Amino acid sequence: MEDRIVQFIAGLRAAGVRVSLAESQDAAQATLHIGITDRAMFKSALSATLIKEKKDVPIFEKLFPLYFNMGVPPLIPVGGQFTPEQQALLRAAMRALIGELSDLVQRLMAGKQLSREEMERLAKMIRSDRSNRPEDIPRLTRQMLQKMGMGDLMEQIETLLQQLAEMGMTREALDQIRQELEANAQNLERQVNQFLGQSLADRLTEQPPQKGDPDLMDRHFGSLSESEIKELRHEVARLAARLRSRIALRQKKGDGKFFDAKTTMRANIRHGGVPFEMHWKKKRLKPKFALICDMSESMRDVIEFMLRLMYELHDQVSRARSFGFYDHLEDVTDEFSSNRPDEAIAYVKRRFPYRPYGTDLGFCLADFFHTYMDAIDHRTTVIFLGDGRNNYNDPRLDLVQDLTRRARKVVWFNPESNHEWGSGDSDMLKYQPLVSAVHQVSNLRQLAEAVDKLFS
Amino acid sequence: MFKSTTDVIDCLSEQDYIATKEIGTVLFLAERLNKPVLAEGPAGVGKTELAKAWSAASGRELIRLQCYEGLDETKALYEWEYAKQMLYTQLLRDKLQTLLSDSQSLAQAADRLAAEEDVFFSQRFLLARPLLKAITSEKPVTLLIDEIDRTDAEFEAFLLEVLSDFQVSVPEIGTIKAKTQPLVLLTSNNTRELSEALKRRCVYLFIDYPTFEAELKIVRLKVPNLAPELAKQAVELVQKLRRLDLKKNPSVSETIDWAKALVLLNAKTIDKETLENTLTILLKHEADVQRARTSMQREEQQQRRRPLDLDDGTFSGNIKPIKRI
Repeated sequence: MEDRIVQFIAGLRAAGVRVSLAESQDAAQATLHIGITDRAMFKSALSATLIKEKKDVPIFEKLFPLYFNMGVPPLIPVGGQFTPEQQALLRAAMRALIGELSDLVQRLMAGKQLSREEMERLAKMIRSDRSNRPEDIPRLTRQMLQKMGMGDLMEQIETLLQQLAEMGMTREALDQIRQELEANAQNLERQVNQFLGQSLADRLTEQPPQKGDPDLMDRHFGSLSESEIKELRHEVARLAARLRSRIALRQKKGDGKFFDAKTTMRANIRHGGVPFEMHWKKKRLKPKFALICDMSESMRDVIEFMLRLMYELHDQVSRARSFGFYDHLEDVTDEFSSNRPDEAIAYVKRRFPYRPYGTDLGFCLADFFHTYMDAIDHRTTVIFLGDGRNNYNDPRLDLVQDLTRRARKVVWFNPESNHEWGSGDSDMLKYQPLVSAVHQVSNLRQLAEAVDKLFS
Repeated sequence: MFKSTTDVIDCLSEQDYIATKEIGTVLFLAERLNKPVLAEGPAGVGKTELAKAWSAASGRELIRLQCYEGLDETKALYEWEYAKQMLYTQLLRDKLQTLLSDSQSLAQAADRLAAEEDVFFSQRFLLARPLLKAITSEKPVTLLIDEIDRTDAEFEAFLLEVLSDFQVSVPEIGTIKAKTQPLVLLTSNNTRELSEALKRRCVYLFIDYPTFEAELKIVRLKVPNLAPELAKQAVELVQKLRRLDLKKNPSVSETIDWAKALVLLNAKTIDKETLENTLTILLKHEADVQRARTSMQREEQQQRRRPLDLDDGTFSGNIKPIKRI
């Protein structure tokens, strides 16, 4: 049993679950306490000691039945409880149909199990070692049974029963035979199933641990399916929590340089003025943001996740104003500050209908300077969220220069990959030297890193 | 010591806690293997209740440490009672005078005072917080560390140190070892990743929302005055609400509150009006309430639009029946 557990842990590791040595020892000890008689409890014991993360639970559920299967009842010879006359009748009928009855029926009648070599031979015939997924096992079982002649089994049973009926076998005996034959057929199927499961388990153990699918956070926004985007949305809250703790840690480290007399005196009143607790000045100025987003079609996903992150972190931000641009610029703060980014984006898209060759950042910047310059002061960080493609219009670098002088920092988030900057109508390389930082945000991890740097 | 998993489950049900077999197995193992239990799951599924029931079932006292952002060692482990020390100093000033009166030099006086140091830094002035209380307790106790995912990484590292050896070293007093091994239960709402080291140290238990049967059992147990038919309807509705994509799913405690509300309102059935009035007991976000309302309206409309009965040739509507060729 211990060997089986060791193999199971090796299989889990091969599937990407990190099981440490201490945990494997715990599992072994747990088995001693729980015992193996009750399968459900044994399973809970293993799961409690080996699986420490919710995302590993499906892998555990998939692999457990492969390694720890209950025994399958053996095949029994049909008619074992018949009277000697009935058994003689049975033998006579079998002899009469000797040419017509397949191997399978004879085997089922005799209750002969499949030996290991026979099963391995059959498995090789259907090339079962090509597949490494537990989901394929039912299909492979059917294939193996087909090879053995399962397709004609029903007909052949009927033929046999008819022959027996002609030879004078009673009704109940016939029903009994049919039942036992069907039970044997089921058990045979289960045996094949179990064999396939075990050989799959052995193959998995021998495999080196494969590198799983790349984490969703590292996948390009454009390559995600609808369900994956939903998963990522749930991740955003945890991501924001991580960012928040990082911000707090950074602030804690940065504190403590200057003595805060007022807070110290107030805190030590209960100690009679004797300064037992020292308090230091905490510089906690929250940043202000102005977000200028490109509203073209390709930017949808990036904007959605950016909004979600910003909403989650809104307690760390003093004031955030958002502007969308395409062929003209508009203030979209109200729509973006609610917590329904999908509705917000849909609503804003109506205000920016598609026009071919529409993007014109230079023109929009001029508009911005004209109307919304009050949003920028020396504490504001301006974030441009776009790919820098202007359809060969005037990029207005002078305005961007003015912006950098007025605001605290100007950063650019570009969802395109590095080597595409500057290709075609992209003015990215012209903007790059003017702004403080340019970040590539083509997946969620990069977006989170870029947002983290905003707060440092 | 519990004898087996079924023993655990029975003792828990004596304390009015319906435990699944998995919970029973994990608690039994934790006691035998001497490891803490890390219970993760959504809010309100009964993790804290589990700790209370477990401690009552094993006859131990429950010591609770509620974690929050910014929790540090002084609030969790121990703190010196400065005010008390100062008070004693003031009151014993005369005695101190006489003690130090015959010393020749400052160094001698300081030495004399140092000899008396352990009066002022003794257990008398040590304010024991939950962790230290659990370690120094004479009788065996259960330690509940609630919502550990709200603390920061520093506190987790500190906690790991305490949990691995169950001894604390106070510089002025020395090392305090635990006399009895407490049973430790950590709960987490999964808002952030816990450190690997802490997870490896514990036995893991994931508690999810209960199944229909389990929840019905819980409601019948906690709110016995509710009619069985009504209880069934209520639990069905809550299970349905959980399948919607809500910001915060209704938890088991909210189901129990709602059941109690139905008893108080003397409701005979869960009709539209009762539901409208009491929906805010289940759902605590306005957006969720709206979503639940729209989904229920949509369901009502679907039910009203009965499927067309084409066989007897009558239908009312402007959809043409498809002729079968």
